[in-house]
Amino acid sequence: MSSMAAETHLPTNKEIRDLLSGLLGREVTLQPAAPLVVSPKKPASVGVYVDDSLVVRAVIACDVAFSAYAAAAIALMPLPATESSLAQNHLQETLAENLYEVLNVAASLFNVGNAMHLRLLDLHPAGAKLPGDVLMRTLTLGRREDLTLDIAGYGTGRMSVILT
Amino acid sequence: MKIVVADDSRVMRQIVIRTLRQAGHGGHEVLEAENGRQAVELVQTEKPDLVLSDWNMPEMNGIDALRVLRGAGNDIPFGFVTSEGSEAMRQRAEQAGAAFLIAKPFTPEAFDDALASVGVRP
Repeated sequence: MSSMAAETHLPTNKEIRDLLSGLLGREVTLQPAAPLVVSPKKPASVGVYVDDSLVVRAVIACDVAFSAYAAAAIALMPLPATESSLAQNHLQETLAENLYEVLNVAASLFNVGNAMHLRLLDLHPAGAKLPGDVLMRTLTLGRREDLTLDIAGYGTGRMSVILT
Repeated sequence: MKIVVADDSRVMRQIVIRTLRQAGHGGHEVLEAENGRQAVELVQTEKPDLVLSDWNMPEMNGIDALRVLRGAGNDIPFGFVTSEGSEAMRQRAEQAGAAFLIAKPFTPEAFDDALASVGVRP
């Protein structure tokens, strides 16, 4: 029951694929990848997820490519809308707004069965200054899924789901 | 029919409206609200036939908007469209008087079923 100490659920690859395919309305394929290492040269958008006591329990990091493609796909924006973000290695504001909604819905990946209830607290778009503690959380080893994903009609990028 | 779509995300309002269209409900007049407070105001001034509302929103969340409406004696059909799809949330929604809860991501079929349950036809 809810009074029992609940663990955070690490979503499976299939759960991630099904959620993204449903949300973006197009085929998403994925495969395991090496851990995503976020740095100023390799920026990532990072969604921060908290439990009901506002304790950070998970982060989802998306490289610029996946950030831009997912953000464009959810709003049916054409592929050229992503070009400026990719060229500047920085997620444009409109796309950041859309990515927020992708990562907001992605909270449901954690909220299964009796798992701890999480919600998206914040999104740090790729290229904006990433707070040190958030960067450190993206580098947590252990319970994480590191993936390469392809969004049909858009392109391929990286995403990592990391429990902290 | 007149439908209020309340969500703080512009893109999600677009997706809800698009999905309504895909579900065959493109003929309805849609009014958009960015939070629960705006949704309550629209219900009171525009007298719509249905509210489709997100749960987590700034200013006033969806469940508080529903409680304000019910507290004022308004019994408009009210459904949630939210990423909060857990059983506990469904129970809270039902207890507050919601007609249905559609979990994000959703399909046109889920919309059609939910709207049919409150008598809204294409």
